Amino acid sequence: MKIESHAGFINQQRIGLQKLKPDIPRITVGLATCGAAVGGTAIFERLKKSIEEQGLDISLIPTGCIGYCREEPIVTITHPGKPLVLLHKVQEEDTDEILRAVKSGSVPFDKALCQIEAWDHLMGYTINYGEGFEEIPLYEEIPFFGRQHKVILRDTGLINPEDIDEFIAVGGYSAAYLALTGMHPDQVLEEVEKSGLRGRGGAGFPAGLKWRITREKESDIKYIICNGDEGDPGAYMNRNEMESDPHMLIEGMILGAYAIGVQEGLIYIRAEYPLAIKRLKHAIEQAREYGILGPNIFGTAFSFDIQIAIGAGAFVCGESTALIASIEGRTGRPHPRPPRLTDSGLWGKPTDLNNVETWCNVPVIIKNGSDWYTTIGAPNNTGTKVFSLVGDVDKVGLVEVPLGTTLSTIVFDVGNGGADGKQVKAVQTGGPSGGCIPARLFDTTVDYESLNAIGTIMGSGGIVVMDEETDMVDIARYFISFATGESCGKCIPCREGLKHLLLLLNRILAGKGTDADLVTLKDLSETIVATSLCGLGQSAPNPVLTTLAYFREEYEELVRS
Amino acid sequence: MTDAAQNRTEEAPDRVTITVTINGKAYPAEEGEILLAVAIRNKIDIPHLCYEASLSPYGACRLCMVEVRKKGRTEMTTSCTLRATEGLEVFTDTPEILRHRKMLLELYLAEAPKSEVIKSLAAKYGVTRTRFFRKVEPADPLGNRCVLCGLCVRVCNEIMGGGVISFVNRGPYTVISTPFLEESSICLGCGACAQVCPTHAIEIEDTGDVRVMKSWAETKVKLRACPVCGKYFAPDVLAEKTLAKINPPLSQEILNICPECRGKHLAQQEILAASGNFNGGK
Repeated sequence: MKIESHAGFINQQRIGLQKLKPDIPRITVGLATCGAAVGGTAIFERLKKSIEEQGLDISLIPTGCIGYCREEPIVTITHPGKPLVLLHKVQEEDTDEILRAVKSGSVPFDKALCQIEAWDHLMGYTINYGEGFEEIPLYEEIPFFGRQHKVILRDTGLINPEDIDEFIAVGGYSAAYLALTGMHPDQVLEEVEKSGLRGRGGAGFPAGLKWRITREKESDIKYIICNGDEGDPGAYMNRNEMESDPHMLIEGMILGAYAIGVQEGLIYIRAEYPLAIKRLKHAIEQAREYGILGPNIFGTAFSFDIQIAIGAGAFVCGESTALIASIEGRTGRPHPRPPRLTDSGLWGKPTDLNNVETWCNVPVIIKNGSDWYTTIGAPNNTGTKVFSLVGDVDKVGLVEVPLGTTLSTIVFDVGNGGADGKQVKAVQTGGPSGGCIPARLFDTTVDYESLNAIGTIMGSGGIVVMDEETDMVDIARYFISFATGESCGKCIPCREGLKHLLLLLNRILAGKGTDADLVTLKDLSETIVATSLCGLGQSAPNPVLTTLAYFREEYEELVRS
Repeated sequence: MTDAAQNRTEEAPDRVTITVTINGKAYPAEEGEILLAVAIRNKIDIPHLCYEASLSPYGACRLCMVEVRKKGRTEMTTSCTLRATEGLEVFTDTPEILRHRKMLLELYLAEAPKSEVIKSLAAKYGVTRTRFFRKVEPADPLGNRCVLCGLCVRVCNEIMGGGVISFVNRGPYTVISTPFLEESSICLGCGACAQVCPTHAIEIEDTGDVRVMKSWAETKVKLRACPVCGKYFAPDVLAEKTLAKINPPLSQEILNICPECRGKHLAQQEILAASGNFNGGK
């Protein structure tokens, strides 16, 4: 049924709310890839079977991931009028105990992690669950959650990503409705410009400016593309955004298409993300059914639709020109810019390419206004950023904090420092081409400029924590080995240069290196950075350059031994 | 339309002459012209391996990088992809450029250790040895001389419309060959690949009525013999394709004769005809 009026929209919200807060107990199981990987699917199936067999009046719903990977599998229980309770580290054999508790109007307290009394979904809708369960800590009291500021991840793990009604219930698509029925495209564009939103794919280019450049190009056809080719080892922010809240991305793209004046959009997503592909496809179908994608969205004159393009898994295809080549069916090899995509992108037409998370920021900006958005984050670095905090850190998970938060807040306050009580030695930010930052520089704020100043990058948001036992030269070798394998082979500094960096590092690690090798390592790295064709080569030597700068003694020790 | 064709048509109308500065000296150039082309025309030496005027800009060999100074800022970029604009100021041999160029040449010496072209190019910049592990592959069909500049792939695709060869694998494992490294059934045997190869890596051998593209999985192409002199002068398929393009077509009697014999053959016919006339008059 298509939504073509305000009354229709409100009605759909009511239906969604009924699903989100039913008159019967609701149990959800976190079933993003992470939850499924640690047994979530088995828990869900067992609960389903028991509920059916016992004929229980319980709503069982799969959700996405709330981001606390360490505590997975996560199950939530909501009794009507009572708080939403998060259970953690649930095992398949716990399901009987869970159902017994739910049947008696309670929850298994020994499994409870925390409770949520009310949740502001930031789109004008706060879900009030209720109060009770004094013995369970509040969500805010859990340090991992309490120090975060969820904007992008506001719905993840709480709503059913496969049900558009639940998304609409928490204010989803209300920004798109607002814009399409009451705002001029220029107003949408201006709000995004004023918000200061910068590209979340890593380079930090002002999103609004890129939109304006594309909008002002003369062309019969233009495209917008979402870059979902997240490929950094240890980074999975975009995967979770797509798996847990796919409609948020779609809404962001609708708003972008409206502002830029585009009828066709594409989501480029890597084949290694099958669940994200499945959920996005499903979400697109649902949006079409509701008249939110396709011709005459919400009954207005504006039409826009989205297709999915699946990549074949090359890391370099996240680079804009290689991504276009891949969609067009050519080998994923970058070409020099200019021409930029905004001049000549997909099929030679002006194209605006933004990262998943950039698009996901748009609905909340339009709904609440740029003035609201700019209160979050730091000057010239507005908004939040989702990071995947992984490696030798105690609390592994997806962390969303305002830009301008210090590394130490992320690693120590949210992540609780090193795993197993070990000292944290360094972090690597920005994926394989980021730099390794020593613990003494953890007062650095996480924003585009500050990270560049210490030799690393924001990248798409991976933060790999390394503890005292980490061999930094070996870490550099790992990342160079990754980059060598992912180099497309077009230009010589990246193709041959990285290979020789790897051979040099192998030699040094085997104890056969010399002081001269250290000089060569640095000189070669600098040439690769300065002369490579695309961003992959230009940033790939960062792990070597930063470990040489901050952990030189480890190299020297190996060379002298 | 290929990119190269597009570039040509884009440049055709309204040619605007502007001035660019290279190493402190002013040169006239067409607006939008490739800077490397301006440099070549004016005999300014910028090393390059992957540039060819008739093909679309590629920017892979990275040797032609120059320093662009704009509003007090300097930036390195490849001159084969840089377009001339009014007031463009570039430097081709700054210490920074030379430092990186030498390093790249060391990488080339390791990648194509058997290439004399690379050796002499490197020597010109004082690079006579490489610190890096030299890749010597005895069975390399390109004789350890290929630098993966891609000119052969592009000329085959963009100019000859062949698409016979391409890049195989990726990263340091990249090579150029036919699909699945198997003998090609569509190669014309034109040899344009060998013609544009900057390091003379591609080997072609004619034996009898067969041309063997030794570097391309030993692909064999049948040659056409001249009925006059008996010499094999062109691959059969290529001859058919080329002759079909000539408009107005060649007369039937010289169609299959090699270009060298055509003149001789026509002259001979004239003489015979004239002598016939003479005899007839007697």
